[in-house]
Amino acid sequence: MNKTKLLELIAQRTREVLPGLDAHEFVSSDRLTDLGANSVDRAEIAMLVQESLNISIPRIELFGPKNIGELADLFLQKLYAV
Amino acid sequence: MLSNTVITGVGVIAAIGQGKAAFITALLDGKHAFRIMQRPGRQHQSSYIGAEIGEITFSPNITERTLRTCSLSTKAALAVLEEAWSEARLSEVDPRRIGLIVGGSNVQQRELAQIHEAYRERSVFLRPTYALSFMDSDLCGFCTAQFGIHGLAYTVGGASASGQLAIVQAAQAVLMKQVDICIALGALMDLSHWECRSLRALGAMGTDRYGDQPALACRPFDRDHDGFIFGECCGAVVVESVESSERRGVTPYATLRSWGIVMDGNRNPDPSFEGETQAIQNALDASGLSPAQIDYVNPHGTGSITGDETELKALRACGLTNAYLNTTKSVVGHGLSAAGTVEVIATLVQMQRGRLHPSRNLENPTDSTLNWVRDTSIDHQIENALTLSMGFGGINTALCWQRNQA
Repeated sequence: MNKTKLLELIAQRTREVLPGLDAHEFVSSDRLTDLGANSVDRAEIAMLVQESLNISIPRIELFGPKNIGELADLFLQKLYAV
Repeated sequence: MLSNTVITGVGVIAAIGQGKAAFITALLDGKHAFRIMQRPGRQHQSSYIGAEIGEITFSPNITERTLRTCSLSTKAALAVLEEAWSEARLSEVDPRRIGLIVGGSNVQQRELAQIHEAYRERSVFLRPTYALSFMDSDLCGFCTAQFGIHGLAYTVGGASASGQLAIVQAAQAVLMKQVDICIALGALMDLSHWECRSLRALGAMGTDRYGDQPALACRPFDRDHDGFIFGECCGAVVVESVESSERRGVTPYATLRSWGIVMDGNRNPDPSFEGETQAIQNALDASGLSPAQIDYVNPHGTGSITGDETELKALRACGLTNAYLNTTKSVVGHGLSAAGTVEVIATLVQMQRGRLHPSRNLENPTDSTLNWVRDTSIDHQIENALTLSMGFGGINTALCWQRNQA
């Protein structure tokens, strides 16, 4: 799993929660809020990604990332933490 | 309780069809949809018979995003509300003066059971939206958000009388001027195999006697009945004052003249002749109508041996021997929380059509002296009707309706 793959996964899960983004090309600087996600949608997206990766991240740590690139970095860090 | 509120819009969905046009056509034709149920989570080492609704159609106003986290009960609620809303032209009303009462408790059981089973060994990944959806008031949330309702909205529960109870509660909100218009919704009870199992074990749900002939299983008031047969359904009625309906120039279906609500003081499922008689009597007394003026009764009769018998005894004791009777449950099945509302809608659309629907499988009525509509529909203009619902825990409700005189 690399960052590109992770961004694709986040994009895929975001499209599930927010139908209508099919044509949107996701980039690292995209903020879920700007894409129309409310707090419930963001929690759903984060959980769907965790489920796909089979890792559980404490909710408090998910408040940190400011865009999907940073979110991908957080997941990568957790995936490959020693 | 005297009422004089009117019904100006209805929306309905059942296995026999979506929307009142399809619903009344199927009712009058006695068309049914009973089969061995197939919805995921309905069966577990079982073959329960029931009627399940098909694909629900929505207008484009209800988006994919909304529907993604909707339960089946919520989807049905949105569909019937949209129909009732449009018919009563509620877009013309100040949304702060519109309320919603959802009838039913613990209505989303199958969806919850499905989630529990899916996440039992990986609960850390449970969807956050479960925190919203596990409560029935989620239906209020979805519906008020979709339609921009800003008056009151809450749920009321009275087992299989919930649907009628919601109408009473909506009428009270209008009479108390909390809102000008209040929608009563009988929520779709989404049974899982767990509820089916216990209802069968309790003796309430019909047996496997007609396992290879599902069409014959649902037979309220017939000598060969042995319990209720489930039928998914949901209905909404718009309740308002006459003055409010006149402001928009909408023509009511009927007036809710009065009602009676009586408890038996009994936690169990068994019916009470005294309780049912008293509820009917209270509704009649408040209506100012004589029993002879009631020309149609939509009974509760689920197909339960003692329930059916007790109800007919109560009707006779109240002098309701001239009224026509049919059984909407024989066509739709028993919708539990939704039944009361859907059967009121059946009454209103029959009133509008001037025609009464047949009773399916009523081959040998337990009491053949009563005025049954048997195997074919008949012409009859309902003037005054009584609709009855009874629920576990000893609740009895009777609503008295009068055709719109305008």
